Amino acid sequence: MNTELEHSFVELLEKHQNIIHKVCRLYTNNYDAHNDLFQEITIQLWKAYPKFRGDAKFSTWMYRVGLNTAITLYRKSKRRVNTQDFEGVAFKMKADEYDDTEEEQLKLMYKAIHQLNDIEKALVFLYLEDKDYREISETLGISEVNARVKMNRTKTKLRNILNQ
Amino acid sequence: MDRLDLLKKDWDNSDSKYPKLSYDEIYKMILKKSSSIVKWIFIISLIELSLGLILAILNPSFEHKIEYPKWLDTFSYLMFPVIFYFIYLFHKNYKKISATDNAKVLMQNILRTRKTVRYYILFNLIFGGIFFAVASFIAYTQLEGGIAAFNEATSTTKYVVVIIVILFVTILFLGIIYGIYYLLYGILLKRLKRNYAELKKLED
Repeated sequence: MNTELEHSFVELLEKHQNIIHKVCRLYTNNYDAHNDLFQEITIQLWKAYPKFRGDAKFSTWMYRVGLNTAITLYRKSKRRVNTQDFEGVAFKMKADEYDDTEEEQLKLMYKAIHQLNDIEKALVFLYLEDKDYREISETLGISEVNARVKMNRTKTKLRNILNQ
Repeated sequence: MDRLDLLKKDWDNSDSKYPKLSYDEIYKMILKKSSSIVKWIFIISLIELSLGLILAILNPSFEHKIEYPKWLDTFSYLMFPVIFYFIYLFHKNYKKISATDNAKVLMQNILRTRKTVRYYILFNLIFGGIFFAVASFIAYTQLEGGIAAFNEATSTTKYVVVIIVILFVTILFLGIIYGIYYLLYGILLKRLKRNYAELKKLED
């Protein structure tokens, strides 16, 4: 194994690791599953890294591999029963910005997102990451028009789940 | 949309909330083995592919007590080039699978790989089925003293019964194998198929 390649990859990943955490945040709802998916994405990125040419931004490239792993490649672990749920435990806001109602609403938002299907989660992720429709269409392999339609439907669906 | 704005704000400010993995922790991860669906499909497919080969190679060895006509042997050797062609196709498809493609292309490539192996299994089942049925019939007639003696001594009714029993056992056997196979991939590909259908639906 090329150690120089390993070194450059791990260094880049260490710097951009939050992208993977964010994918895991939307696709999993407990620590074990989060860690499992994080690991699988890391492995998939590493496997694809020799082909990474650097003409795309490393982070953009990570979005694609990360989402592909979450939507297509990853086999959900069965070890998810009896593990601690994220909601209300992880990612508490810092004390100075803590707002009870805001926190409650966020919890509900994430809960609603977890009820979406894998493609809809990808759309929410790309929306939250400020990706434009061109990039969304390229990542998922659908047309820009369809990406826009699907995004609007997903937002409506999210709204409906929250209003239930 | 108010709540989405709130989520967006939280998302943008969430960097400090995630665990920070160290260089060493990430390094350890890249040494670990993948558990991706492609890997599982690959392993199962290799077992399937080798099964055909093993069956083809083993064939003559369990026949030694009963003499089969030459055409049946020739027929069984015809399997080899087809099996190798399937292995070539499978390898080609598998090489195409890349996590850096867009989601839809990636799913298409995985499903194509599965399709190749499915055809291969169908080929094996049909071929194996014909072989099994013919061989069983020949074996049975030889136990009864050879085809000529069998033809002479057997009534039409018995003839028909023997053929029906052999066909029934063959179909049952093939059905069970196909059922197991279907179940195996049904479970493995369920999510992928659902997501693929979701993307395809947008184009209709």
